[in-house]
Amino acid sequence: MDIISQLQEQVNTIASLAFNTFGTLQRDSPPVRLSPNYPEPPANPTEDAENFAEHAKLVSAALVKAAKQFDALVAALPLAEGGEEAQLKRIAELQAENDAVGQELQRQLEAAEKELKEVRELFSQAADNCLNLKKPD
Amino acid sequence: MATATYPPPPPYYKLYKDYLQDPKSAPEPPPPIEGTYICYGGNYTTDDILPSLEDQGVRQLYPKGPNIDYKKELRSLNRELQLHILELADILVERPSQYARRVEDISLIFKNLHHLLNSLRPHQARATLIHILELQIQRRKQAVEDIKRRREEAQRLLKESIGTLEDTGASFVLK
Repeated sequence: MDIISQLQEQVNTIASLAFNTFGTLQRDSPPVRLSPNYPEPPANPTEDAENFAEHAKLVSAALVKAAKQFDALVAALPLAEGGEEAQLKRIAELQAENDAVGQELQRQLEAAEKELKEVRELFSQAADNCLNLKKPD
Repeated sequence: MATATYPPPPPYYKLYKDYLQDPKSAPEPPPPIEGTYICYGGNYTTDDILPSLEDQGVRQLYPKGPNIDYKKELRSLNRELQLHILELADILVERPSQYARRVEDISLIFKNLHHLLNSLRPHQARATLIHILELQIQRRKQAVEDIKRRREEAQRLLKESIGTLEDTGASFVLK
């Protein structure tokens, strides 16, 4: 896939990682004490809390990794210096050169075909002479 | 079960009655459309240019100007994005009801990112064109060389064969 499409895919990946992160963290987070008027929230089994912290670390690491990969892709962009005009100039030069080489090719081709025709005629003449010189005995 | 018939063909077909005898008696095909046109209630334009962000009502975060340093802008937008995600996480912890502004900012950054990437496509197209032209020039030069070489080879063979024929011809005549 070309580099720009990869960059676009990476942007979409970062977006989906971000909303998955927030979605799962919000959905699975343990209840927290908001005001001193209300009693402590029910204590949850510890394994849930541990997994939750682990999960938070994992998804945030994935997000940062995706961002780093985006930076790496940006660094790999083969952005040749030129602005648009430099590119258009180069295209015009290449077109002129292409035309010149094309005409040279055309000339060589015509000369070669002419020679081929001559050789064919000579060959057919020689073959005819050969056949005529052979006297049946 | 009732089935409806197909709609009738448009009534212009009557104008083409004598087309076989006189092709000029029928109306000309309509000329191609220029500018903008409306199709099924949507506006389309025949000029295929990426509409600028202002046209879509989106604020542009990276500086405008003739030549944009794409790599720098992409990297700085990436950093902005990460910062905003972190801000959103903080806001959700402290004041969860004020998430909307942050989410809007994040989506603005994403729109800018995609617009930047889309504006790289014409550059890519021109670079591809340059590459194709270079390849074609190389192939043509190669073909010219090949033809030259083969012609010289053919000339050489002909001269050799003339030499051989003369030798054998001379010996034949002497016999």
